[in-house]
Amino acid sequence: MTPATSSTTPAVMAHSTAAPALGPERPVAWPKRKSVTLANGLEVVLAESHAFPKITAQLFIRSGNAATVHIAPGLPDLTARVIRTGTATRSSREIEENLRRMGADAGSSAGADTSTISISGLAEFSGGLFELLADLARNASFSEDQFERERRQKIEGLRVERTTPGFLANERMRRVLFGDHRYAVIAPTEEQVAAYRRDELQHFYQHHYTPSNALLLVVGDFANEQMLAQIEKAFGTWKGSRPEMLISAAPPEALGRQVHLVQLPGAVQTQVLVGNLAITRRDPDWFRTVLANSIYGGAFHSRLVMNIREQKGYTYSPRSGITALHQHGFFTVHAAVRNEVTAATLTEMFYEMDRMRALPVTPEELESAQSYLTGVFSLGVATQDGVLVQLSTVYLDRLPEDYLETYREKILALTADDILLAARRHFDSANAQIVLVGDRDQIFDQATLFGPVTEYTADGHKP
Amino acid sequence: MKPLRIPVEHTTLANGLRVVASPDRSAPVVTVGVYYQIGFRLEPRGRSGFAHLFEHMMFQGSANAGKMEHIRLINSSGGLLNGTTNYDITNYFESVPSNALERVLWLEADRMRALKVDDENLRNQRDVVKEEVRVNVMNQPYGGFPWLDLPPVAFRNWPNAHNFYGDFVDLDAATLADVQHFFRTYYAPNNAVLLMLGDLDPAEAFTFAKRYFEDIPIQPPPPRADVTEPVQTEERRGTVPEKFGPLPALAIGCTAPPRTSDDWYAATILERVLHGGRSGRVYRELVLEKQIALETDGSYDALDTNGPTQMVTRIFHRPEYTSDATIAAFDSVIKDVQEKGISAEELDAVKVKFRADYYSMLEGGMGSYMPRFGLMHYLACFTLFDGDPKRINTVLDGFLAVTPAQAQAVAKKYFVPHNRAIVVRSPLKEGSEKSNGGAR
Repeated sequence: MTPATSSTTPAVMAHSTAAPALGPERPVAWPKRKSVTLANGLEVVLAESHAFPKITAQLFIRSGNAATVHIAPGLPDLTARVIRTGTATRSSREIEENLRRMGADAGSSAGADTSTISISGLAEFSGGLFELLADLARNASFSEDQFERERRQKIEGLRVERTTPGFLANERMRRVLFGDHRYAVIAPTEEQVAAYRRDELQHFYQHHYTPSNALLLVVGDFANEQMLAQIEKAFGTWKGSRPEMLISAAPPEALGRQVHLVQLPGAVQTQVLVGNLAITRRDPDWFRTVLANSIYGGAFHSRLVMNIREQKGYTYSPRSGITALHQHGFFTVHAAVRNEVTAATLTEMFYEMDRMRALPVTPEELESAQSYLTGVFSLGVATQDGVLVQLSTVYLDRLPEDYLETYREKILALTADDILLAARRHFDSANAQIVLVGDRDQIFDQATLFGPVTEYTADGHKP
Repeated sequence: MKPLRIPVEHTTLANGLRVVASPDRSAPVVTVGVYYQIGFRLEPRGRSGFAHLFEHMMFQGSANAGKMEHIRLINSSGGLLNGTTNYDITNYFESVPSNALERVLWLEADRMRALKVDDENLRNQRDVVKEEVRVNVMNQPYGGFPWLDLPPVAFRNWPNAHNFYGDFVDLDAATLADVQHFFRTYYAPNNAVLLMLGDLDPAEAFTFAKRYFEDIPIQPPPPRADVTEPVQTEERRGTVPEKFGPLPALAIGCTAPPRTSDDWYAATILERVLHGGRSGRVYRELVLEKQIALETDGSYDALDTNGPTQMVTRIFHRPEYTSDATIAAFDSVIKDVQEKGISAEELDAVKVKFRADYYSMLEGGMGSYMPRFGLMHYLACFTLFDGDPKRINTVLDGFLAVTPAQAQAVAKKYFVPHNRAIVVRSPLKEGSEKSNGGAR
């Protein structure tokens, strides 16, 4: 084969053969923000972002699917979806047409800890957007027809999700890691959805969609003071008290690696997901663990991606990450790989995990990962959505007010020892749980190499 | 209405490389893109998937930055990078803190100048691409639906009609010689545009561009594949089995008018009348009112394609309705527009939404992580396809000027059976509710 360097031209010689050094950094200018609590308890955070004449708002209710998991799993999510389909004064069609006239999109759904209604549209219509958002949060009508239609969509959506490898892996991992804890269930069964009653949704709405249980984040092309007046007008008379705090069982302690194989007949890949319980954002180890994760598998140039993608070609987009829910966090690493390299992939995942635990990272890796995290953090302030995500991190988890401003210096202060410590504590390779989703006949023998195997069907039963 | 004026400055280097700069000092970050006018529509016959495989090779090493160096240098400068292969273009882009601008330009110039890859790199990325196809298409419910399903049914000319992700046998046949030949042919400065956006001074950015790119040798203009389609005279239909998903689905694609024609503006607005969110007519009628469908959406790459393109409706419908009953419901939505037209009020609302969507696309466009991706993308398309990046500030006027009569006229002209193709995805497994084979 012809070496590919033959096209070297004189122009190359004339050029610097090393990458230019970085210039001096420009400081990150944090968007002007304002945080207030209205008399009714609603927390409001505003941030100005003027590059485009748009506004993005997200109303968080601090109650999500975890709230009802023992009585009606997933009911908060359907509640959020039905809210969007009608209020006391607006039909579903009117809501949708109102949105369009204001250049707006809306969304509503629930995760484990929160339910959200989000709206983004043109800044010139901000008053109308807040009116509509407040109407959805306060006056949803839960019509029988819309409830039944959304319920049917939810059931069909679940049927599709339970044929999706990534979803099946996440669903099983949560059950394995959380046992009897409220976080164990990420989606209901079809039968559970079929059993919801309309008045249960209304009950959830009345008790949880209250101002003192809510956080409103708004980013956009406006002046904070002026926007606050519009928000007062739309939300100031909203009433309701805070719901009771949730009590949850402790998650189980993992004792040794185990394999959980979810059968997906005919699959041409194995969805590999390895995980262990870790920490929340309020843990003192948070920053060092984030940095360790970015060196392990959290970035394109991380060790794991370089190993199983760029060297071995096992997979397209492997990554690791820490999911920080309000009460607990967990560490996971995932890859979709061709069936014959399932065991080889697990071997490399654990090898790289153990290397992080056994040996300090090099100074170059440390510096590179620090630059990566601080730089990507800066990218987050360049769009309204990015600012909203950052603000939600701070205010939902009740982190210190200066979290954003001090993030970069906290990352830059970390050392190789911090990373070693974080990896030893939170990349628990000896007790990591292994979820494999795939064609049993293709991968069972490989699965048994890593621990006792428990098998499941896609709908969660033991076959 | 507050008019949006994006600052745009542009120049052409001696080697034919077009350069566009758009300053915005609101955050200390820059987004840089290099767009080559080669996409999967134009890849060589018998080498399906090659343009995309080649895109992966551009991350495998260049004269002075070896394998993994491109990724490492961008990530360790605090930035993100990616590339995508499209119908008529392939792009490479980075978002970084603004102090890394010069470094990014050096890297992009290095790989425009000379690709340095070997057989091992090719084998590796062939494997990676196969896993990409598996994870996105072969191992997902509704994978590739309908962007891979429709072209072979809708079109007759190979460039428009082949498998863009690539048949594995074609991927296996690709050689290193093919890679270098493709590079020399299409990855020339005179077949590309460089875009620099964000926290920068345009004069300084142009100086950097000259410094790093201007002595890359110009190449003969690359051949342009003939992408014209023979005249279609009747409806085309196809069926693709759905291996995992339980719901029957179908996609209806109507071939759109040529880029920048009067009909193109009107069709783009009409498509939003039909598909714009839940107030779009198709969703409203099929999901909310008649409740035949569980989900519908629409797509039309009006601004970033330069050849035969379809306006596509996707419908996931309840199993107790047949495909034909579902298509009939779609047809009645179209017939209503064709016969009764669209009110000025409805059209005005659609235009407000269109304007808002345009701004959102310019601001982000790839989620929140790649600032100004959409601005970069449209500036590139306006430069490569229309020769004028400043259309970024004027193109909206054409869309906002569309009248109800024009929208009705394009509904009659383009949303007709002899201008469309339909693909049905039929589940191999029994549907969720018992299918009785008959429509209600």
